[in-house]
Amino acid sequence: MSAGAAKLIALTAVWALLAAAPFWAPLVGGYTALGARVLVLALAAMSVNFLLGFAGVLSFGHAAYFGLGAYGAGFALKFLAPSTPLSLLCGTLLGGIAGALLGLLIVRRRGVYFAMVTIAFGQVLYYIAFQWSSLTGGDDGLRGFARQPLDLGFAKIDILGDETAFYYFVLLCFALVVAVMGFILRSPFGRAMIAIRENERRARFLGLAVERHIWIAFTLSCFFAGFAGALYALVNNFADPRGLHYSQSGDFVMMAVMGGMRNFWGPLLGAAVFVVVQDYLSSVTVNWMSFIGLLFVLVVLFFPRGLLGFIRRRAPA
Amino acid sequence: MALLGETGRLDRRTMLKGAAALGGVALASPAIISARGETPVKIGMVDPLTGAYAANAQNEVTGAKLAVSQLNAKGGILGRPIELLVEDSANDVGTGVQKARKLTERDEVSFLIGDVNSAVAQAIAQVSNEKKILHIVSGGHTDTITGKDCKWNVYRVCNTTTMEANSICSTLFEKYGKKWYFITPDYAYGHTLQAAAEADLKKLGGTTSGAELTPLGTTDFSAFLIKARAANPDVILVLVQGSDMVNCLKQITQFGLNTQVHVAGLQQELEALEGMPPEARIGVWMFEWYWKQPGVSGVDQFVADIRKVNNGKVPTARHWFGYTSVQTIVGVANQQKTLDSLKLAKALGNFELPPEVRLQPNKCYYREGDHQLMTSAFIGEAQAEGKDDPEDLFRVDKVIAGDKDAPPVDETGCKLQWPA
Repeated sequence: MSAGAAKLIALTAVWALLAAAPFWAPLVGGYTALGARVLVLALAAMSVNFLLGFAGVLSFGHAAYFGLGAYGAGFALKFLAPSTPLSLLCGTLLGGIAGALLGLLIVRRRGVYFAMVTIAFGQVLYYIAFQWSSLTGGDDGLRGFARQPLDLGFAKIDILGDETAFYYFVLLCFALVVAVMGFILRSPFGRAMIAIRENERRARFLGLAVERHIWIAFTLSCFFAGFAGALYALVNNFADPRGLHYSQSGDFVMMAVMGGMRNFWGPLLGAAVFVVVQDYLSSVTVNWMSFIGLLFVLVVLFFPRGLLGFIRRRAPA
Repeated sequence: MALLGETGRLDRRTMLKGAAALGGVALASPAIISARGETPVKIGMVDPLTGAYAANAQNEVTGAKLAVSQLNAKGGILGRPIELLVEDSANDVGTGVQKARKLTERDEVSFLIGDVNSAVAQAIAQVSNEKKILHIVSGGHTDTITGKDCKWNVYRVCNTTTMEANSICSTLFEKYGKKWYFITPDYAYGHTLQAAAEADLKKLGGTTSGAELTPLGTTDFSAFLIKARAANPDVILVLVQGSDMVNCLKQITQFGLNTQVHVAGLQQELEALEGMPPEARIGVWMFEWYWKQPGVSGVDQFVADIRKVNNGKVPTARHWFGYTSVQTIVGVANQQKTLDSLKLAKALGNFELPPEVRLQPNKCYYREGDHQLMTSAFIGEAQAEGKDDPEDLFRVDKVIAGDKDAPPVDETGCKLQWPA
């Protein structure tokens, strides 16, 4: 079996598994809303991985753009118009534009300083969301909005009451964003990102505008994070400042690393493990985070390429 | 990869992997239990078992569990056993919403109880309303839950922040003076409690010297306390709760602030008083329920029952909240002989708690107009040491009936929208 065919089979299997989730999830103790959450958080983790895995810079403040995306969607539904697509657009723009502006300052640093500056800006945005109670609801969160049925002109799809319909809506959004992400990574720009990751100095000597490339990559990644945040607001019909907190960024990084960074599909696996373990264990014990931590340590120690990297290595090429 | 090992036989590694996979599957889905008699009726409970309100939340759960076991022994709900499913909201609104969705979507609970945290309670009320299930807010006090955000399916056991303020502000004013400074938790509960106290203070002719908004989970209050002292008020009112209350009062006594200015507050709880050193147990406060009520029927029995399941410790207001929440749902369901949330929500308007549940001298009923329980306020003073019992840390001076300190329904801002 050629490598190409194996890849095709693996891809088909992933999509088939995702598409059939509402049917098999209840059989193993899951539920449809959990599936939607896995997809949304996977998207956020993939946006972190887009930077970390392919441009080689670690953002520890991506939750800020995720959280802004959630607020953007909430504001649109609450104050602008009751339209789900509009809310997604507003959330993506809010997260992405904030990322583009702050990115101008952030990309001047590398390595641990880059991570520190992203945390710092993330926390600034977190405290703004926390303190600006009149607009964001402060610590109480933003309530009083709900996702709206999709009006396709010829038919109306009720994604509010029908969980399964909503899951497919999220899956469709996920597929679109993943396609865009994959397309960018295959483009010359994506190759340039990888070149920078592998050897920044060499890329610079070859004439690549490294700062500008990293800025574009950061901005794109913030747009993806903002989109994921907007979807998350629709999952819960709720947005709160903790979505911007650096501990949330830590969760995204953990999902990406646990699943396998540098690997396109790794964060999806990482997010699935994280969300399912959290959902299950947090009902059993209040110390569920210790188990996630233990799992993370084990993965880093024994499968440095993440869970997916481990599976790939074991499978015959 | 071949299903069998490379040799084509079932080798040790494959066996181990299979066993691990089986174990994983068993973990991933709770083993299916075949029906034993009647299928249980599920009640979901969301409470912050971790974080600043952990002690209060754990006690609410203990109280609710006691009610469940007592009621199950008496035939349960419509002859079916009651099953209580508890989820930790971790004092975080997002997690609370997620857990409420899990309980309603996966576990398909018939009723919902919770949360201690007002902000979480408000947010999960939106979920229960969306799912159209009867929801009892056990211990989140902010006005809006039975005020301008009130919902047809939501009833509340604990006091509103306005009821709390109305019950005690005149006492505080007479005893301590007219310049007040607030240490307020920065979320729904603190905002509405301070607003209610300020409204009462204005009516009484006093002034606010200042207020500090402190994030939930603050451990170091020194900066806030220095500012409070500098404003030179007559009294510093501590509105923070849970472990924040413990830390704040501890630091007040460590700085000796209580020797320079009066320190008191509105709502106080036994969990917090037990958590602090004796010298920090100062000031006049209101309790929402107290375990020492001589001559009130049923209280001694309740104290004895809780002691059995609570490591010998007495019940707090939180035990009573959890207990009453379950008793309310089961009581009204058995009375109406239905599990239909809409019918039960209708029937709960003016539903009166029987004496063995209300455990207080005054009549205790849910008000029809805003779904708020008219429950008493116990006004008194914190005690450094218990007189007869180490847990007798509060001296009750007077008990005020709920309908005496609750504002009339049209002032709460509540307009109930019933589904068609």
